Amino acid sequence: MAQYNKIQPHWWTKTFAGVIGGFFLTLGLVGIFAWLGPTGLTEQITEEQRLWKTQFNMWIITPIWLLILCFVYMFKTGRQAWLYLGVSAVISNVIVYLLRSQL
Amino acid sequence: MKIRSDILRTYQSLHTWTGITAGLLLFIGFLAGSLTMFSDTINDWATPPGYQLGQVQSDQYELLLEQVLAQNPDSLKAVTVSFDENSSPIHWYGQGSARGFSMDDQVWHATLNEQGHLVTELRHVNELSMLIDYLHRSAGIIGEVGHDQAGVYVLGIAAFLYFLALVSGVIFLLPSLVKSFFALRKEKGPNRFWLDSHNLVGIASLPFHIIIAITVVVFSFHDLFYGGLSQVYGDKPMFGGGEKHEEVRYDIRELATLNEIKQTIHDYAPGYEVNSIRLSGLSSAHPSASISIISDRTLMRGPHNDYVFLNPFTLEIDSSTVRNESGEQSIWAAVVTSFFGLHFGSYGGELGRWLYFVMGLGGAFLFYSGNLIWLEKRRKKQSLNQSRSSHFMANLTIGVSLGCAIGMAGAFAANKWLALVSWNINIAYMWIYYLLFFVTLAGAFVYGAARFSILSLKILAVLCLLIPTNSLIAFMLPEIGIWAPDSLGDLGIELGAVGFALASLYALKHVKRRVYHGEKNSIWYCSKLSKKEVVESFS
Repeated sequence: MAQYNKIQPHWWTKTFAGVIGGFFLTLGLVGIFAWLGPTGLTEQITEEQRLWKTQFNMWIITPIWLLILCFVYMFKTGRQAWLYLGVSAVISNVIVYLLRSQL
Repeated sequence: MKIRSDILRTYQSLHTWTGITAGLLLFIGFLAGSLTMFSDTINDWATPPGYQLGQVQSDQYELLLEQVLAQNPDSLKAVTVSFDENSSPIHWYGQGSARGFSMDDQVWHATLNEQGHLVTELRHVNELSMLIDYLHRSAGIIGEVGHDQAGVYVLGIAAFLYFLALVSGVIFLLPSLVKSFFALRKEKGPNRFWLDSHNLVGIASLPFHIIIAITVVVFSFHDLFYGGLSQVYGDKPMFGGGEKHEEVRYDIRELATLNEIKQTIHDYAPGYEVNSIRLSGLSSAHPSASISIISDRTLMRGPHNDYVFLNPFTLEIDSSTVRNESGEQSIWAAVVTSFFGLHFGSYGGELGRWLYFVMGLGGAFLFYSGNLIWLEKRRKKQSLNQSRSSHFMANLTIGVSLGCAIGMAGAFAANKWLALVSWNINIAYMWIYYLLFFVTLAGAFVYGAARFSILSLKILAVLCLLIPTNSLIAFMLPEIGIWAPDSLGDLGIELGAVGFALASLYALKHVKRRVYHGEKNSIWYCSKLSKKEVVESFS
């Protein structure tokens, strides 16, 4: 039983889960932030504010994605990594899709 | 701190494999990157005195600009007025442009002579600093993808591995961190010493490395990220939008004076000094002035400066990289600017640059020592015969790291002699670098890392010492035509070369001991007998 609870290596499946699933999850999270966060897309903002906010949104993709990638190896198995990251990626992107079409 | 053993093992493997795959690429990036901190000084050092034309009095700029614009229609496209005393007062591109990577750019320099008449000269742009910057950004990997060098994307991927290596390294170091952070255990053998110093440098400069890893990923893949964002944004514009620019054609006589532009900048960004003003598209529908401004007291967004963009006819400010107090640019601007500034080390003036130089070299040390530790861990402890993969990695480590250093030192050492002949010096730099790099790499594989490390460290020391020797020759035999250092920055580069030479000699001393008197089962060991063979085969 103790053996079963240990983290399995599953290097490649976890890495791909982190790279692909992690990227789309990040994009979803940044998307929600871009729409609902301060200086969001629904607000009336100046050209200059938009210039910096869009750059900011682009910049935060990397640290979030990299952190997901770092900790994807904590999942017990590659399948779990795909499951959790995949489902949250889908949910976050559906939210973005709704925001895009509703707001 | 206690961490479960399976987590530790996972992250230890992760650290090992990410480190070993990305290490050598990052070594080149960091070694060259630390030199780019002084790129202006390097260019000044690399060009003969008089390469840049003399500056003019502060009240003559207006007259100079007027004459240049009137007599050279090319300059209407883009012309730069520089107030820097080390550069010509005005220049514009005769061939090529300031953007992109090209080796045969030619620039017109202009100034006024004592009678107040216009003097112009067409010159190749010397790009010794461009070679260094190219190595910094692409690790010298040849080829282009899209609008960038292939190496940029390769380094972008290396930066992913680098970030993983950083985090995993910290995780599996945590349990022993408090106990052994400052311990540099020499008595426990060289391997323990390498490991301790690797950990010390890594942890001490961790924030710097995290910033560098994140920014490199962004610099390489921002197109992809903006592409993803545009999906998220839907119909909303990412940039611009809203206000429409009316198309107005301006008469060149309505151009604002340089003093008016300076005054506008002074009001907009107090505390900054105007370094240069670049006017472009003066006869087009979209005229623009980009003003490069400098302050040592704030974090700047560019490698050496901040920018303000304005309309040179109406003095209306379009955008800028300066954080001003009007609140328009807020926290978002602050974060974005910080990322740029923290990568470029463009804050804190000279001191900041030196600090980044040292941390850059520290980074190179981190990757080099990481490879050594990997080699030491994998070798068979009780056998003279080591696996082929150990030898391969040892040869590659020595060949790539010393090859890069020797290649750059060679370009610097040859620079003043190359300038004597009229050819495109930038292509000569490339040939020298790649020739030396590949010869060193081949040498490491032919003679084996252990023996070759001795020879290549000697070569590196000699090349570094040639740099001040050239200046000595220039000083004693001025008729040859090469030049001696004539500024503090020039002297700094010569002293730096001496410093690198001394470091190589110091390393040489230790390497010799390791090769001839070290542990016999080490992959670095060669018997004394083989020393004679080596000497014979090289002589």
